[in-house]
Amino acid sequence: MRFNELTELQLDALRELGGIGSGHAATALSQLVNRPIRLEVPRIEVLKLSEVPRAFGGPEALVGAVYARMLGDISGGILFMARRDAVLALVDLMRGHEVGRTKSMGHEEEALLKHVSTILVAAYLAAVARMADLDALPSGPVLAFDMAGALLEAVVLEVGVEAAEAMLLWTSFVDEDKCVEAGLFFVPNPDSLAVILGRLGVL
Amino acid sequence: MSSPDPQVDARDLFFQDDPDLIEVGIGELVIAESPKRLMTPALGSCVALVLYDPFARRGGLGHIMLPGPHNGIEDDSPGRFADYAVIELVRMLGERGSFRRRIQARIAGGAAMFRGESSVSTIGARNVAAVKRQLALMSIPVMAEDTGEAHARTLEITLETGETIVRSYRFGMRKL
Repeated sequence: MRFNELTELQLDALRELGGIGSGHAATALSQLVNRPIRLEVPRIEVLKLSEVPRAFGGPEALVGAVYARMLGDISGGILFMARRDAVLALVDLMRGHEVGRTKSMGHEEEALLKHVSTILVAAYLAAVARMADLDALPSGPVLAFDMAGALLEAVVLEVGVEAAEAMLLWTSFVDEDKCVEAGLFFVPNPDSLAVILGRLGVL
Repeated sequence: MSSPDPQVDARDLFFQDDPDLIEVGIGELVIAESPKRLMTPALGSCVALVLYDPFARRGGLGHIMLPGPHNGIEDDSPGRFADYAVIELVRMLGERGSFRRRIQARIAGGAAMFRGESSVSTIGARNVAAVKRQLALMSIPVMAEDTGEAHARTLEITLETGETIVRSYRFGMRKL
């Protein structure tokens, strides 16, 4: 499946899928932090590989990211990513503190971030699986703090993209005070994309 | 003179103001000469390959993403795969007059960005091995490397001196 051959109808179907997945994830997140979380319209971008590292805040932006592989009928990856200050704010909200109290990431903070991400990813995948009528489970999440571009690049390669372009289906979340801005990327393997489109009836 | 806009990132200003700095993206191969500088940002599991000719102060930089394609190469951009990119970069340098025996290599990158995920962690190591194998086949010496581990890197080479810097959040600036 070549990403640059997707039709407008197929892109719309994927955007819809991303909207439902991220809607569920946002609901889960707002329940976790007990405040409203706003969701932006899901974006679907077919990018040249050299553009992938710029997709989230610039190639060298320092971010926290949690990655989970998808297992089951489809393979690929899901990546939850936020700038460092947004990650710290998220930890504060989870603890019921005012934003700004957590200044650095220790083991406890990392465990909290993993915990939140696991729930978000599970909510997203459950919605996608229901809509496309397939089995999809997340693997145990792995955490990294580093340059956004390098993490996105590693994920795209990991899911098996070797063509000159990649597809990113992603949504950004933001809370009412705009202190937590995060992105959730759904990156299916190119073969799994065909399976998903088939199940959605637009292959 | 107007004061700088605080909304603009210092890095953006830096890039705009510096016509000598050439950025190399994933899968690209670029050749340049002094006084230019070549850089490639945010290497994860990808490998940056620098080939430098100190005599001509000319160099090439590639941002290589995988050892080789699974199903043969589909288009005319060899820079994505180590098996093609190394030969191609040497050929491009040769066209400008840099003989193979003058070329020195430096490599950086090939990290396992997500530790603990066994299937993620092999791409970087395989990239480094593939690049080194191709260099060995052409008898090009690897003068320095900063590879593996689990952190992202940005590489920059100043072609006038050949000085190569690797930046990372983990170790700051390192001379290669």
